[in-house]
Amino acid sequence: MTKTPYVLIVEDDEWLAEQHARTLGEAGIRTESVPHALAAIDSVDTNTPDALVLDLLLAGPNAFTLLHELRSHADLAAIPVILCTANAEGIVDEDIQAYGVKQVLDKATMLPHDLVAAVKKVLP
Amino acid sequence: MAGDLSFLVTAAHELKAPLALIRQLALSLETAENLPAGERERMLRQVTLTSERALRLTTDLARSSRLEDGLFELEPLNPRQICEDVAHELSPLYKAKNREIRISARYRPLLVVANRDLLRRIILNFGDNALHYASDASPVELRVQTLDGGSRIRMGVRDFGPAITADVWQRLESHLGKATQPLHARPQSSGLGLYVAGQFATAMQRTIGATRHRDGATFYVDLTASTQMRLL
Repeated sequence: MTKTPYVLIVEDDEWLAEQHARTLGEAGIRTESVPHALAAIDSVDTNTPDALVLDLLLAGPNAFTLLHELRSHADLAAIPVILCTANAEGIVDEDIQAYGVKQVLDKATMLPHDLVAAVKKVLP
Repeated sequence: MAGDLSFLVTAAHELKAPLALIRQLALSLETAENLPAGERERMLRQVTLTSERALRLTTDLARSSRLEDGLFELEPLNPRQICEDVAHELSPLYKAKNREIRISARYRPLLVVANRDLLRRIILNFGDNALHYASDASPVELRVQTLDGGSRIRMGVRDFGPAITADVWQRLESHLGKATQPLHARPQSSGLGLYVAGQFATAMQRTIGATRHRDGATFYVDLTASTQMRLL
């Protein structure tokens, strides 16, 4: 039996998180949404996701704090990350590759299908 | 010039978030097949409320750019009535996000001297800002307090969200209303709404401020109490 892929969405705009979840759900991907990095760490602790869809600016510690935390645990360091941000133009690829970021999606220009494609590309 | 450019960048960024959400929702609605009626209705409601929020911001920005052009009529106003107007305007958005907004003020508070439109916009901005940080369990409160033996009235919006970290707070306090600044502990706001609120307060020769709590923050504007009642 094939395991249903599981993706953790870290997004503080609850309606956008809901939209991501709806889009991924239609593609047969199970999701959980959390609004900030601390909740993400809690969630990852109990249920390791197959991939992470991550917003850059979050309440409290930002995305890089979460990425640092994940990289510091051998069992979590390999979780592929899709960065989904409204600040995509300010991101330098070299700066984020070390954090396991596989793709950057620009919230302003992406299509719903882009999210599904990006996630499917990194799923094991 | 650099300040103008920075302001433009901040304004553009602040508008990007609601517009990006509206676009995502619209794209999904365009292509969705077999979407349950309730779900479609919910998404359309989110489009409406998000576009209204973006429009509020553009109206404020336009108003803010014209502040130097005119004089603003100050009149005695009932602060509770202003709070009721704001609560009425924001309640659909709060309801859609499962949040509650309520008023904490005497039924017959002292009147304040202010410009009705600018004061309403200040409190609307505070209310919009608070929405993002209120937890499901705790309502946002629009508060009216009498200070200095009745000569000053403080109108504020109290949220019960995550505490603002000390470094962000220090930055916020020193720049509040004077410049836009990224509030990384409160990322959905670049500080633009608070900056605009500060501009509106300055146009009435009043100031805005903030109080940090262990479980959230209060953003407020201090106003002069009307002496009209005392003369009667």
